[in-house]
Amino acid sequence: MEIKQTAVAGTLESSDIQIMLSKGNHGIEIDLESDVKKQFGDQIISVITTTLKKFGIENAKVKAVDKGALDCVIKARTIAVAQRALKTTDQPAWEVL
Amino acid sequence: MYESIEQLNLNDPRKRQQWENFLKSLGISNFSDKEINGIDLTLGMYDGNELVGTGSAAGNVLKFIGVCNKGVTQGARFNRIISELTSRLYQNQIFHILVFTKKKYSQSFQHLGFTELASTDSAAFLETGSPNITDYLDELPKVVDQEHQSIAGIVMNANPFTLGHRYLIERAASENDWVYVFVVNTDASLFSTDERVALVKQGTADLKNVMVVSGGDYMVSYATFPAYFLPDSVTNIAYQTTMDARIFRDRIAPALHIGTRYIGTEPYSNTTSQYNKALLRELPPKVKVREIKRLKTAAGQYITATQVRKIIQEGDVTRIKELLPKTTYQFIEDHLDMLELRIKKGMNIDGN
Repeated sequence: MEIKQTAVAGTLESSDIQIMLSKGNHGIEIDLESDVKKQFGDQIISVITTTLKKFGIENAKVKAVDKGALDCVIKARTIAVAQRALKTTDQPAWEVL
Repeated sequence: MYESIEQLNLNDPRKRQQWENFLKSLGISNFSDKEINGIDLTLGMYDGNELVGTGSAAGNVLKFIGVCNKGVTQGARFNRIISELTSRLYQNQIFHILVFTKKKYSQSFQHLGFTELASTDSAAFLETGSPNITDYLDELPKVVDQEHQSIAGIVMNANPFTLGHRYLIERAASENDWVYVFVVNTDASLFSTDERVALVKQGTADLKNVMVVSGGDYMVSYATFPAYFLPDSVTNIAYQTTMDARIFRDRIAPALHIGTRYIGTEPYSNTTSQYNKALLRELPPKVKVREIKRLKTAAGQYITATQVRKIIQEGDVTRIKELLPKTTYQFIEDHLDMLELRIKKGMNIDGN
């Protein structure tokens, strides 16, 4: 699936993650900012990548600012931002959940 | 304890007073009309009736950020106000956000995903979102084996493109393998950005080693260098020119392997001569600066775009024929009514 527009989901408050998704040409490139990057960086990146792949997104620039979000939050924010970027918010992607 | 965030109407005198007092207590005191009028959105964070945090946006630039941390977790209010402010900009499809701040707050912004582009002893300039400076640089045209060639850079507003600009580009093109011409990307001039870029491209079409590109938000843009477009104090000019020079030195030039920046000597404009001084002070030794003496007409007059705009205002355009390349002259002749209408509508022509 092609990214149609830049989109954002999430906030910068504690326990949340803010994800921005925009067009890219070199696979899924993730730029992650997190205070716990050392411990959980790989895990966060894997949740984002897996979720995006379920939407069929192969190329995207992802900018994520994590404030200690749990995996379920990361997944929810990724789903929201993907649907916004693909302009499919009117068709919830149940199979991804 | 969770504070509420609401939009502040600065036209309400009581709110305005409370807001100014709050910022003054945090050491922010520049409330000039010029600053205030540019603001599109102001948010206030309230604990009961007390203002405990605020932030504003002017276009894609964050301004007047202040929070009181008394009795709460350090940074919590700051994160909330920035979060709310950026979300509102994102909702308005503004995805690239800039901020100027004191050096000591740079770290706080970096915690929220901002990247520092340049800093001085006292101030820092940061961005977040997309497209960022890496995207901007990736989009620019490149040449084969660029790192081993001699590359020059010129930044110009070209409002409009004159034989003086052409002369500067020709000099750079003859002394280097390739030349990047960055055209200022801010619509605050008599000629629009699209018109200026088109005229530079047409006027240099015969020079095969010249690449005309947009300066983006990073070279003499309204965001980084407002004093270029509006009169400002000497301190502000010094601070903005230094920041602009450092972005070029540390971000633009290394990525494109630009070894030399060409500038024209500035006989008249104070801002531009300050800018040249800052470039001469900041760029070497990483980037050489070549100052080229400005071209004169047969009658011994310096060629300036300011003069061209004055004559457009007066209407007798045959007088500027000798200052302009054919392409620019043709454009002015064809669009004289439109240009004069813009001047009548209040477009400032005395600036740059």
